[in-house]
Amino acid sequence: MVNHRKTEEEELGMRSKFKSPVKMAVSRGLMSVWRTHCGVFPRYLFPAAVRAQSSTSGNTLPHTSLSRPPWEGQVSLVPAEVERSRHAAVVRAVQQRLQRQDFGRLFAVVHFAGRQWKVTDEDLILIENHIEAECGERIRMEKVLLVGAGDFSLVGRPLLGKDLVRVEATVIEKTESWPKVLMRFWKRHRFQYKKIIVQPQTVLRINSIELSPRLS
Amino acid sequence: MTSRGTPSRFLRSVLQNGVGRYVCQLKRVSIVFSKKGQSSLGMRDFIEEGVVDFAKNNPGIVVYVSPQPCNVPKIVAEYLSGNTKTEPVTNKTSQQILEVLTKLTNQSGLDIVRLRKPFHTDSPSIQGQWHPFTNRPPSIGPIRPQSAE
Repeated sequence: MVNHRKTEEEELGMRSKFKSPVKMAVSRGLMSVWRTHCGVFPRYLFPAAVRAQSSTSGNTLPHTSLSRPPWEGQVSLVPAEVERSRHAAVVRAVQQRLQRQDFGRLFAVVHFAGRQWKVTDEDLILIENHIEAECGERIRMEKVLLVGAGDFSLVGRPLLGKDLVRVEATVIEKTESWPKVLMRFWKRHRFQYKKIIVQPQTVLRINSIELSPRLS
Repeated sequence: MTSRGTPSRFLRSVLQNGVGRYVCQLKRVSIVFSKKGQSSLGMRDFIEEGVVDFAKNNPGIVVYVSPQPCNVPKIVAEYLSGNTKTEPVTNKTSQQILEVLTKLTNQSGLDIVRLRKPFHTDSPSIQGQWHPFTNRPPSIGPIRPQSAE
């Protein structure tokens, strides 16, 4: 059994079917190996998806010059039922893994303090401001964009549900940064000033990333 | 000085603090002040009002109060990593001294120098580190652009 990487799109209530390109394997006629594309394809590359979305769901985006790319739409090389069955197989495989909880270490992409961090268990993060939590308190990070294990990853659009993932961290340290020197000097203008900047810092230790055993 | 001229270190914690339980890194605080000196006035007020509450709130920290003839009242903080940090608190009020103490409690004892990276992981790759042959099917012969079939 070929252990190939699969990607499952997490649907936040809106089921929109878009055609993911099934690459070289089909065109070369290889029957046993097929792969859905491992990366994340942004939705604007699929004008079919945009059209499907506008017809099925209520909220439409206005058509602008950038709504669709200037090249023609991509034709799927595989009939729709085959593709749907493949998607369903992927979803079933991922749901099985989640139920049995047989994945190893998980990583997550978390949006925190204005930045996105790729985070695992037991790793450290430095935030350049104070957080309203004392040292030793446990914090839950709610904006999770992506969670991955060794075999599969769940990609949120743009966020994953709070009942699906739980990322917890502990505040370890609240210090100040090293004194940074801000100096301006213009020659021949008698202009100079010097300022020492000390910024508050917080260090977080990511304790755990947990996935719930039920998808959606 | 510039960040190139001063020492730097990587982000780390002392003995994986936080993985299991969190341990306050400050172990000993010695308060050095003089009994008659105008610079130690705030310190004397703090010792009257605030030091006992501070010691009760942090049971893991040992607080030593030592009046000595000195010009500059200081707080000497010793950490579990072995580092010692001295903070002069000349002409500070009782409230400011409490803030200084809170700041020292929340620090770990590592040096305050430039941090090279704001993150640290022991397992940087989970799905396998990328190399140019990841996700690339083997091929014999030159790789040509795929013609649409």
